[in-house]
Amino acid sequence: MADPTELSLAEASRLIAAKKLSPVALTEACLARIDALDWQLDSFVTLTAERARADAKAAETAIMADGPVSPLHGIPYCLKDIFNTAGIRTTAQSKLLADNVPAQDSVCQAKLAAAGGVLLGKTATWEFAHGGPSWDVLFPPARNPWNRDYSPAGSSSGSGAAIAAGFALATLGTDTGGSIRGPAAACGIAGLKPTYGRVSRCGVIPNCFTHDHAGPLAWTTEDVALLMQVVAGHDPQDPGSANIPVPDYRAALTGDVSGLVIGVPMRWLADELPPKPETSAVFDAALSVFKDMGAEIRDVDLPPLRAYEDAKKIIAVAELFTIHGADLRTRPELFGASLRYRIIAGGLVRAEEYIQAMRARTDLARAMQAAMATVDVMMLPTAEPAGKLEPIDPETLFTKLSYTTAFNVGGNPALSVCCGFAGTGMPFSLQIVGRLFDEPTVLRVGDAYERATPWRDRRPALLARETA
Amino acid sequence: MDLHIAQPSAGTDDLATRGITELAPLLRDGKISPVAVTEACLDRISRYDGAVHAFIRVTADRALAAARSAEAEIAAGRYRGPFHGIPFALKDIIDVAGVPTTAHSRLLPADTPIAVSAPVTQQLEAAGGIMLGKLGTFEFALGGPSWDLPWPPPLNPWNTDFLPGGSSSGSGAAVAARFVPSAIGTDTGGSVRWPAAVCGIVGLKPTYGLLSRRGVQPNTFSLDHCGPMTRTVRDCALMLAACTGHDPLDPGSADVPLPDYAASLTGDVKGKRIGVVRNWYVPEATDEVVTAVDSAVEQLWALGAIVEEVTLPDIGDYSDCKTLISTCELFAIHAPDLRTRPQLFGAKLRQRVIGGAFVRAEDYLQAQRWRTELVRQMLALFLRYDALATAGWLSTADPASPEAADFFRTRRLVTMPFSLAGIPALVVPCGFGAHNLPISLQIAARPFAETTVLRIGDAYQQATDWHLRMPVLH
Amino acid sequence: MTAPMPDREQILALAAQAGLTLPAAYEDELVAAYANVRRMIDRLPANRPRGDEPAHVFVPTKFLPTEN
Repeated sequence: MADPTELSLAEASRLIAAKKLSPVALTEACLARIDALDWQLDSFVTLTAERARADAKAAETAIMADGPVSPLHGIPYCLKDIFNTAGIRTTAQSKLLADNVPAQDSVCQAKLAAAGGVLLGKTATWEFAHGGPSWDVLFPPARNPWNRDYSPAGSSSGSGAAIAAGFALATLGTDTGGSIRGPAAACGIAGLKPTYGRVSRCGVIPNCFTHDHAGPLAWTTEDVALLMQVVAGHDPQDPGSANIPVPDYRAALTGDVSGLVIGVPMRWLADELPPKPETSAVFDAALSVFKDMGAEIRDVDLPPLRAYEDAKKIIAVAELFTIHGADLRTRPELFGASLRYRIIAGGLVRAEEYIQAMRARTDLARAMQAAMATVDVMMLPTAEPAGKLEPIDPETLFTKLSYTTAFNVGGNPALSVCCGFAGTGMPFSLQIVGRLFDEPTVLRVGDAYERATPWRDRRPALLARETA
Repeated sequence: MDLHIAQPSAGTDDLATRGITELAPLLRDGKISPVAVTEACLDRISRYDGAVHAFIRVTADRALAAARSAEAEIAAGRYRGPFHGIPFALKDIIDVAGVPTTAHSRLLPADTPIAVSAPVTQQLEAAGGIMLGKLGTFEFALGGPSWDLPWPPPLNPWNTDFLPGGSSSGSGAAVAARFVPSAIGTDTGGSVRWPAAVCGIVGLKPTYGLLSRRGVQPNTFSLDHCGPMTRTVRDCALMLAACTGHDPLDPGSADVPLPDYAASLTGDVKGKRIGVVRNWYVPEATDEVVTAVDSAVEQLWALGAIVEEVTLPDIGDYSDCKTLISTCELFAIHAPDLRTRPQLFGAKLRQRVIGGAFVRAEDYLQAQRWRTELVRQMLALFLRYDALATAGWLSTADPASPEAADFFRTRRLVTMPFSLAGIPALVVPCGFGAHNLPISLQIAARPFAETTVLRIGDAYQQATDWHLRMPVLH
Repeated sequence: MTAPMPDREQILALAAQAGLTLPAAYEDELVAAYANVRRMIDRLPANRPRGDEPAHVFVPTKFLPTEN
C-alpha cells in the first residue's frame, strides 16, 4: 500500500475496520515520519512514542477481536500542548509550565482515548495559546510544511503543521480569535472552530474564558466530522458547556448544496479588510464552485469588523491578565515578550470598561445571529496565505483586523478549508460559518466543496534530514 | 413596658385586610365585587398612607376601571383564576404602561408615562389583578433610606418611628399595612426579604431567571430578581403562579417547566431534611432574633422535619463578593448620569455607586470567580439537604432617623448568600421583638425548588399565627 | 469613554495600584501596550440606556454538584 501517513482519517478508518491496515503499522509509519522529518518543522514538543506503541497494540488486539469501537479506533493523533494529558507534561510552551505534569486528562483527551485513538504526543503552540510566534519560550516555534521558512500561523501551529506534514491523522486545537482556523488555513487543511460550548473546555489551559473553543483539525472535512462525533457533547463541569444533543455529523455529509443560501459580508471585504487581489480572485472562484452546484450568493450586513475585534480584545486582555496576574506581578521575566506585551495592560482595564465591552458584545452577537438567520452559511476568506515566519510587530496585534475573530464573538461554528495555492506554494483558504449549533450544515458545505475541487490531492514535499 | 399590641385580623369585615386565599372564592362566586375590594384598599390608603408613605403614586382611576372590567368579566362567567380581581401594587422601578416610573429619583422624568408594561405587570394584569399604584423604594433600588429625594422614605406600619427595610420599602409597608394584599418587589442583595422580614409579611426571592427582569430598572444584571410579597405563604403561591414564565427577551430568563405552586402546599414536611445555618445568626443577631429564629426551627422539628446544623462561610464573604460585582455593574449603569448630572442623585445612591469607577476588571473577574466557588460550595449541601434555614434578618427594623448611622454600609446581610446563589429564598414572620417589631425566618432550597420553600413556609404558618397579626395604624 | 489619555507617570501609578511594579525594561512595554488598549476602549459605544446588558448570563443550575 502507498504511504499510510498520506491517508485521511476516514480512509485509514475504513481500512482499519476492514482489517486491511494495522494500527501498529500506521503508528510506526507516523513515528518514522516524525523522526525523519519533524526536525525541519518543530511541530512536536513532546513525543510519546512508547505510549503510542502501547495504544496501537491495544487497538489492534481489540479490533481483531471485536472490530473498532469508533472511527477513531487505532488512529494516531496529537494534541496542542494546552490539553491536559495525565502523566504527560503539558507546558503551553511556557517556561512557567516547564515542569507541569497534569494528574488528570482533559475531557477531550479522555474522549479520544476512550474512542481508541493512539496518542503520538503534544504539539507546539503559541505561548498560552496567545503569545507568538516566540523564540524566547520553552520550545522553538513550529514551521509551515509547505515551506519551512513560512509561518504555519497560530496559535495551534504545531497541530496544523503535524496534519499537513502527515505526522498524525487527527488533532485538536483551540480557537479564541482564530487559532484553529488560522493554522488550518496556513497549512492547507480543514479546521473547525465549533459553536461556543459544543466541545468541553475542561482540562484545557485557558486563554480567555469568554472566547475559548476546542476543536478538530484534520486533512479533510469528513475527518473533522468524525472527530467532532467523538469530542462534542455536554460537560456539566464546564460552565460554558451547552446541553444540546449531538447530531450525526457524518450522516450530514450528503454532498448536496443545491439551494444553499450563502451570505458574504461584502462591506467587510470592500471597505474594512479588502483581500489582496489574488486572494479575492480565489475567493470568487470558490463562490463560483458553489454557484455551479446550485447555491445562491447574497450580501449580509453586519456591524464593522473593527467593533468585533475591539470588543474581543478588551474582554480578552482583562481575562488574560486575571489568569496570569499573579505571575506577571512576581516573575514577569518568565513570560515570552510577545505574550507579556499582549496581556500586561489588562491590569489597567477598569471594570466599567470591561462591562461596556461585554455590552458591545451583546449587540454584536445579536447582529451576527440576526444576519445568520437570513442565510444558510456565511463565507469569506479565512486569512491571506501565510507569509514568512518572523516575529509579529506587537503593535499590530492590537490594531490588526482579521476575518476570524468576529465568529469567536458571536460563538458561531466556523470551518476553514483549502481552496487553492498561491505562487509561493502557500495554500489559500475559505471560511464557512454557520448558525449556532449548525455544524452539520457547515460540515456538509465544506465536504461538498472538497469533493468538487482537486486541492485535497496535493501534499507538501518535506526534506529528508541532511546527513552531517 | 410591653408595647406588643397584636391584633388578629380574623373577624374584621374590612375587605382590605383579607388576603388572596380568602378573597378568591368570594370573588369567583360573585359574593363580593372586585370594585368593593379595590375601594376598600383605596379607602384604607387614603386614611393611613399619609403616615406611612408607602405609595409614590396611587392610580385610583385606572384601578377602579380595571376593577369594573374584572367585575363584568367574572359576572359573565369569564373567571381568570385566583388572582382575578385581586389588588396589587408595584415597586416604582417596575414599568406600567401609561404610568410614569420614577425609581424614587430625580433622574427619571416624574410625569412621562411609560409605553410598555414590564412582563411581570402584564402577567399579573392578564391574570386579572388590579394595579393600585407605584410604591416607594430606595433610589434606583439602592440609595436609601433617603430624605433628600422628591418623595419621603416609607415607614414601618408596625411603628412609624422605624423603617420598613429596603430597597422594596414601600412594598413591605403597603402589604403589612393592608393597603394591598400583594405587591411585587425586587431583590438583589435582600431587597424583598429585608422589608418582608421587618414588616412581618411573607417575601419570596425566587430562583434567578424565574420571573422576567425586563421593564425593571436594573441594579445588578446577574443578581436582580422580582419577587412576590404577601401576608401568607398560600397567597404567595397564588401570586407566584400568576407572574412566572419564560421571557425570551430577557437574557437571564429561565425556560423551565412550571409546577403547580398551590398544589405543593400539602402541609407535610415530615422527613424533609433542613440544614440550619446557625453560624450566620449566632452570635451576630440580636438576642430576641436568635430566640425567635431558634424557636421557629424547633417548630419545624416538631412538624417532623429532620433539622441539622450546618456551617457555611462567614456572611461577610458573600457580601464582599456581591458588593464588588454590584458596584461595578451599578457604575456602568449610572455612569452617563454620574458624568453629566451627578447633582441629581440622592447622596446615598451617588456614594454607593461612585466607587465602581475605580474597580479594575481583574478584581471584578476575581469576584466572579469567588462567586463560582461560594455558590458551588453552598449548592453542594443540597446533595444532603432539601432546604436551608436561617434568620430572615439579624435585627428588627432600624429607627427612622436621617441622623442615625448609615446601617447599610456597616451592616452584614444575612440575605446576601442566597442572592449570590440565585436560589429560591422565602421569609416568613416568626415572632415580634421590642417596639412591636417583627422577626423573621428564612428558608432556601435548590434552584427552581420554589415548591419546597413554599411547602415548608406554609406548614410553619399552619402551626403558628404570627402572620395573622396586624399593625394598628393612625 | 473619552477621558484624557493618562501620561506615563499616571500609567505607572495605575500599574502600581494594580500591584504591578515592573522592572524598568518592561515599563515602556506597558505604556505602549496600554495606549493600544486604551484606543480600543475609547471606541466602545458609551452613554447606553441603563438596561443594556453585558453578554454574561447567570445560570443557577450550573453550580449544582455533578454525579462524580
